[in-house]
Amino acid sequence: MSMLSSYLTLAAVLFCIGLYGVLTKRNAIIVLLSIELMLNAVNLNLIAFSKYGVQPSLAGQIFSLFTISVAAAEAAVGIAVLIVLYRGRASVNVDEFDELRG
Amino acid sequence: MLNFNIDFTGEFVAFFLLSVCAIVGAVLAINFTKVVHTALSIALTFVALAGLYIVLEAEFIAFVQVLLYVGAITILMIFGIMMTKHDGEGTEPARPLLETLAAIGCLCLFGILFYAIRNANFPAQHAPFTDDNTREIGKLLFTQYAIPFELVSVLLTVAFIGSIALAKREVNTP
Amino acid sequence: MDNTFFAEYAWLVPLFPFIAFAVLTAMGKGLKKTGAWIGTIASFLSLVLSLCIAGERLSGNAPDYGNQMDWITIGKLKLVAGFEVTNLSTLMLVVVTLVAFLVNLYSQGYMKKDERISTFFAYVALFTSSMLGLVLSDNLLTFYIFWELVGVCSFLLVGFWYQKPEAKAAAKKAFIVTRIGDLGLLIGLLLLFWYMPGHALDFTTLHNVYDTQSGAISTGITTLIALLIFVGAVGKSGQFPLHVWLPDAMEGPTPISALIHAATMVAAGVFLVVRTFDIFEASQVAMNTVAIVGAFTAIFAATIGLAQNDIKRILAYSTVSQLGYMMLALGVGSVTGAMFHLFTHAFFKALLFLGAGSVIHSVHTQDIREMGGLGRKMKITAWTFGLGSLALSGIPPFSGFWSKDAILTAALDKQPILFVVAVIAAFFTALYMARLFFLVFAGKPREGQHAKESSSVMTIPLIVLAVLATVSGFVETPFNGWLGHWLFPEGAEHDASGLVMVVSAAVGLLGLYIGWLTFVKGTIRRNAISDRAPGLVTLVARKYYIDELYHVLFVRPLQGLGKVLDLFDDYVIDGVVRLTGHGASALGRLNSRLQGGQVQTYALTALISIVILVVAIAGRRFW
Repeated sequence: MSMLSSYLTLAAVLFCIGLYGVLTKRNAIIVLLSIELMLNAVNLNLIAFSKYGVQPSLAGQIFSLFTISVAAAEAAVGIAVLIVLYRGRASVNVDEFDELRG
Repeated sequence: MLNFNIDFTGEFVAFFLLSVCAIVGAVLAINFTKVVHTALSIALTFVALAGLYIVLEAEFIAFVQVLLYVGAITILMIFGIMMTKHDGEGTEPARPLLETLAAIGCLCLFGILFYAIRNANFPAQHAPFTDDNTREIGKLLFTQYAIPFELVSVLLTVAFIGSIALAKREVNTP
Repeated sequence: MDNTFFAEYAWLVPLFPFIAFAVLTAMGKGLKKTGAWIGTIASFLSLVLSLCIAGERLSGNAPDYGNQMDWITIGKLKLVAGFEVTNLSTLMLVVVTLVAFLVNLYSQGYMKKDERISTFFAYVALFTSSMLGLVLSDNLLTFYIFWELVGVCSFLLVGFWYQKPEAKAAAKKAFIVTRIGDLGLLIGLLLLFWYMPGHALDFTTLHNVYDTQSGAISTGITTLIALLIFVGAVGKSGQFPLHVWLPDAMEGPTPISALIHAATMVAAGVFLVVRTFDIFEASQVAMNTVAIVGAFTAIFAATIGLAQNDIKRILAYSTVSQLGYMMLALGVGSVTGAMFHLFTHAFFKALLFLGAGSVIHSVHTQDIREMGGLGRKMKITAWTFGLGSLALSGIPPFSGFWSKDAILTAALDKQPILFVVAVIAAFFTALYMARLFFLVFAGKPREGQHAKESSSVMTIPLIVLAVLATVSGFVETPFNGWLGHWLFPEGAEHDASGLVMVVSAAVGLLGLYIGWLTFVKGTIRRNAISDRAPGLVTLVARKYYIDELYHVLFVRPLQGLGKVLDLFDDYVIDGVVRLTGHGASALGRLNSRLQGGQVQTYALTALISIVILVVAIAGRRFW
């Protein structure tokens, strides 16, 4: 088992843990954190491929830079939305935001 | 099928230790019931990942990781936690059906990914990285990736202005 | 000037009343008086245009004008719709628009106090429009559509006073009974459609097929088609045995009885046979059937008319009887006679109905035994009604004499027995008209009656129609067959027969004389017959128990069947429907739980779906 497989497996583990958190956690802040965890798993993949991929190059690292930037933007907007929602509802529980109920 | 013929190189030892840290941090983050604990343990994962980046010869990314994730995002989350109340946490009714199904789904997804990783054939190659990766990244960012770079900066500006506009308490709202 | 200048715009004739109908329906009930004027003006415009077309066609030998367009194309099959202006349709146009206009005018007075007057005028406008469309149709398909439309209008107008249970029942009866005939017509049309070369249904092709390529359709099929079409005509024109609806239809407002159930719609059956006469001519069996049914209906209805006491019912049976005459004329091959009688009958029967309406409007009863001596108080009504009665009784020189004479001549020529029947019917006709007229207008006024002459909007149509009833016969006399030449240039000559003229005038006068003796002089006692043969009178008064017979034979078994089917519907059909409904709503509830607004549930669903999708796609290589 090469090192690349190990990194990819670790990334998959982190991704699935993050996904579980997104799916089950009530607290919106934990959900946001779980999303960050998933994004980090993706970053790990990018950087591992940048070193061990079929065509190793710095492009993977640069991509992960972009990903981190987008994640930062997402976290900022997410927290802002959360605070606005909290003002209206006095709650950050995801399962109470059900305006889309069919 | 699983052949663990592992060379105990220095890289592997480092990888092993750091990945244990990352997974432990992530699992703890999911299991804690207090939001602050979750935020802190996920910071542990982020730090461990930064270490992994260094092992992967991505020093600049590791630096950015520590700066942004550990420094900025986690702090942002803690601010978010402080600005909202969390009185009822830990006392919510459980949702067994959702949790079971989510667990099964995640496990299945992991199984699929693991199967794919195990079956993929990666030719062993090594990057011709120089010692000064950061300088190379800087050059690339300002030559080949100049336009995406600028776009990302625009995106960040928009996002931050947007979040300020959202979170600012409006005058006429009670 | 172009000889088809006005004919090209013939499609406007039905359009005016239709626009009136649309406007009246759109504006609702608030219009009242204005609504009545809209309907009247529309019918007046139609009348003017029809007269223009007629003038154009009378002035010279204008060619027939037709205009067609493709309506529906299904593969190779093409259905065309169009209109055509011939002398025949022009005649009908004038008759329909004239009577419709006069009836509109008359209704302004007659329906003045009705709450739903604008609805009434809307229905009348729709009827006028459909009837004109029927007249102008150049093929059987559109003809059939308009045929059904006039049926619907008849239903609506008979049941116009739906608060009265009798009116409701009469409307239903009219609709259902004519429906039996319409079903026959529909089957006939389908058969015709199937057997016609090229599936053409227009009258021109129909004429050509039977005129030039005889044998394209076998005689047996021709007879069947002709009889089925005749069933339709029987239903619409109130011939025996489907005549039962027409007298009941008198529950509708009297102007409607004049317009629909005397002058126009009931004549549509006759008109149908005229238009498809080529088919009938090709089958002797069908011709004989038409002649016998017509003659039988003529005498059958005339005898019933003798024993009725309701003024409108007498006139209704008279209509049935006269329509029988027209059918008889067709059956003995005299299309001219039929159309001529249709033409004159439209005028004098509309006149009689409107006169009856004027009387009813004044004395508020329909029973002739409660009337009497109205002649002095309602002079115009009495005079015009008298002229109409003379025309109907076939007294020279009124129009009814000439048209009846044309029919009797043709009957004597072909079927002498039917001639005798028709002459006897003519005698009864004169007799019941004499009874009606003398009982209503002669004698002493009843106690407590405050009859007075109707207003001028009601009497002017009466006068116009009385003039027409008097003079319209001169367009076709034994000495001058102008109408026949105009309608059917290649048609047979009308031969004068002194014998027929003398006989028909004599029986008419005899009938009137006996009536006068009985009901005015009292020389013959009124109950002379009922004393000696009470059973006979009851039999006739009860209309030969036809309604009762139908009730036992058809209505009861059908009601029983209906009950059984109702149970079936309740438990089987509805059960299935309920099951479907409940199943669907259960499924809906199940699915709506998915739409719980829970973001995490959505995400979980997406995850599981992706897993299943990946497994399904990637797993294919293993089996």
